[in-house]
Order: sequence, then C-alpha cells, then structure tokens
Amino acid sequence: MHPEKYAVIIYIFFWAARINGCIRRGLQPLRRGRDWFFDVPVQADFYTGAGRKILHGYWMRMSIPFIFDIPVAIAIFLSGRLVYLNYLVLGLSALVHLNHSFSVNLAERQARSVAATEGEQPLACMALSLKPRRLRDYTNPKLEWALGISYTIAFVSLLRYYFAAPEHHNLRLVFGVPAFLLYLQFGMLFVKRVVLAWRAPVPQSHAAEYMEAREQTRNYYVRVCDWHRLAIAAAVLFWPLRISASPAGLGRVLSIWFAIWMVIGLVSFVWIEIRRQQLLTLALRARPVKLPDLLDQSAIAKWPLCYQPSVPMLILKGAHGYSLNLANGLTHLGAAYLFGLVALIAALPRHH
Amino acid sequence: MFLTIDTRDSRPIYQQVADGIKELIARGKLAEGTPLPPVRQLAADLGVNLNTIATAYRQLQKDGLIVIRHGSGSVVASRTATERSRDELLRPLRTALTELVLSGLSPTRIESIVMRELRLAAKESK
Repeated sequence: MHPEKYAVIIYIFFWAARINGCIRRGLQPLRRGRDWFFDVPVQADFYTGAGRKILHGYWMRMSIPFIFDIPVAIAIFLSGRLVYLNYLVLGLSALVHLNHSFSVNLAERQARSVAATEGEQPLACMALSLKPRRLRDYTNPKLEWALGISYTIAFVSLLRYYFAAPEHHNLRLVFGVPAFLLYLQFGMLFVKRVVLAWRAPVPQSHAAEYMEAREQTRNYYVRVCDWHRLAIAAAVLFWPLRISASPAGLGRVLSIWFAIWMVIGLVSFVWIEIRRQQLLTLALRARPVKLPDLLDQSAIAKWPLCYQPSVPMLILKGAHGYSLNLANGLTHLGAAYLFGLVALIAALPRHH
Repeated sequence: MFLTIDTRDSRPIYQQVADGIKELIARGKLAEGTPLPPVRQLAADLGVNLNTIATAYRQLQKDGLIVIRHGSGSVVASRTATERSRDELLRPLRTALTELVLSGLSPTRIESIVMRELRLAAKESK
C-alpha cells in the first residue's frame, strides 16, 4: 500500500475518534447538573439568562479546530499531496487540546463574573499528601529496562547496518529518525515530570475522596505517557527493519506494521474512553472547591508570563487567566527542549 | 497520610507544617526512614514560598526528627537518634500548659485534656 493511503486511513480514524471527544467536551459544562457551569456554582436561572450566551460562546469556540481542519484538508486532497494529512492530524491534535483548555478557562471566568459567588469562598482548611511525587516514585523499573534494551538493540543494529557499507549509506538517513524518536522519548519524560508537578492540595473535609480522584487522574496521565514512550521505543526498534528491508519486501513490512498499529490504536482508544469515564465518576464525587491563595497570585501573576523565582509553581493563576512562571526550572527545560526539537527537525533528511 | 493547614490558625504556615509532621511522627504514621516530599513539591502544593517549607524542614532537622540528605531528599530520623535534653523536651509542654492556663481552664480540666491527648498519642504510636 502507498504511504499516502496510510495517511488517508489515519485521517479518517482521527475524525472517527474525534466524534466522542466533541460530544464529551460539548456536554462538559453541564456534567455536574444545571446548578453548575463546569466547576462554577451558578444560580437556577443561569442557563436561561447570561449563561446561555456564555455556553453558546463556548460551543462556538470549540468548533475553531474544524474551521482550520476542513479547508486545509480540502486543499491537501485537491493538491494530491496526501502525506501532508499526517502533519494536519498532528497540528489538529495540539490545537484541539489547547483550544479546549483556553475555552474552558475563558468560559469559567465569564461565568464567575455573573454566577453565584457565595459558594466559591476559599477554603480555610486544606489537606495535602505527604507522598513524594518524584519521577522515580512513578517509574516502573521493568518498563525502563525494556526501553533501554530496545534502544540498545535498535542502535547496535543500525551501527552494524551503517558500518557494513558506510560509503553507501547516508548517516543522517540511518540515524536521523531514531535520534528524533529518542528525543521525543525525552519529551515524554518531561511531560511526565510536568504531570507530577500538578498541585495536589484538597479540602480537609472528605480529603480521602479528593485525594483518590487526584491520584487516579495522575496515574492515568502517567500511564498514558509511559504508553507513548513504549510506542516510541517500538518505532525505534522497527527502524532497522524498515531501512534494511528489500524494496520488494518493504511494502509488506509496512502493511503489517501499519495493521498492528491500527489495532493497538483502536484498543487504546477504547481503554482511554473507559478510563476517562471512570475518572469522571470519581471527579464528580468530589465537589469543586476554591483553595486559599496564600501567595496572592492574582497580584504577582501577569498574563501570560511572569517571573517569580521564589514561587515554586510552573503555572500561576492571575486575575486575567493563567500565567507561565519563567523562573521555574521546568519552563527553562521546556524552552530548551523546544529549541532542540526545532534544530533536530531542521537537521532531519527531507526525503523521508 | 495528610498534613492539614488551616489559614485561620494563628501559627505561621511553616510552624503548622513542622507541627503537623511532628504529630504524624509521634503517632507513628511516619515511620523511621519514611521519605518526605521535596521542599519544592510541598511549597508548590500549598502555594507558598519555598523558604516557608525550607524553614519548617530546618526546624524538624534541628529537633532531630528528620534527616536532610542533599540530593536524595529528607527522611524521618531514627527515634533513638533524637538526643535532646530534658529541658529542651519540656519547653514546648510548658508553653502549651501556659496557653491552657491563660485561656482560663481549671487545672483539673487541663489535666484531663493532657491525659486524654497522652493516651491518644501513646495508643497511635504503638
């Protein structure tokens, strides 16, 4: 099968997977009932008054990815360069999540300005877990060994392949893609670190319920990160097979590889939807609360960036939305990672 | 195992953190060798300055209740390693008793409160 056909199948799969997400995000403001708008307590007439406009605004903003998607996809189909659908899928995946986060944040702020605020007084008493959340506390040694062995096998195979006839092989072609994938592996570790850095204070009353919901959600995201790392390692392991396959056998190898990943993708999709539903049930058991602002974040955090070396948080909640703390070590690491990613993409061979 | 912080409490946050951890150690909920969260994690969770938690940890270290190992984190110290003089140990008790007397409670009432708390601490540390 031609690589362009794979791109079309992936694009169709992506569209099918989005249907459920669109419905879920659309219903998200009402998931706690009509007394709530997302996690903001509202009056009974909210959805017939000002809330109606806010809700419609949220739904309109949620359709922004489609405004990009449809014309770009039509242009790609008309141009015949169907491989670009892969880049469209990657771009849309990021856009859907960023747009969702931004829309929820904006809608909640709009709702707070018109909703009942007496239920949103900050808690006086809060509880926090004394369980350390370092990367090593959420690391599965067996998985790390498996990843390490996979990379060793892949790179040893590539070295043997390259040095068998160095004059006939392009160094960037042989090692470029695995190096890029290895870099993505470090990126997933970085994402995992950010997940673990999420704040976890909860109200003292029903602390165990809240803590369970937080911990389960954290474990879910950590597991998703590890699955991605496993998928990246599998891709690195596959690369020596791909480049050493004969032109006649390459089509067959790619078809098998693609079929395996379609099945894995489908199973993962079902697992993610089931797990999300379980997490939602857990989250709904814990009533949303406003935690005290001991640092007076609204005063120190300027949207969208701020510099607060004494504040250990990555994201601060200011008066006009969230603010990225440039003084945080994770911000520096993230910025360095993005620069490295751009440099690596520029160095990759173009024709593969 | 939770640490509780009350913003209405007259004690500063670092004191509440130190007292909370002390209480958990006394009740046996934080056993010897148990790792404590890094200063950065606790400060971020609470939404306070790094120095607030660092001060609490330093106080616990000074009291011999935790061991701070640079690079590998803090752990609860061995109970036998807590070598403090009788006077040092009695000081917080005297302060607490003074507070109770000043609050207007009768000596009998104070005695019953102290006995109840002592029984509770002894029971939970077993």
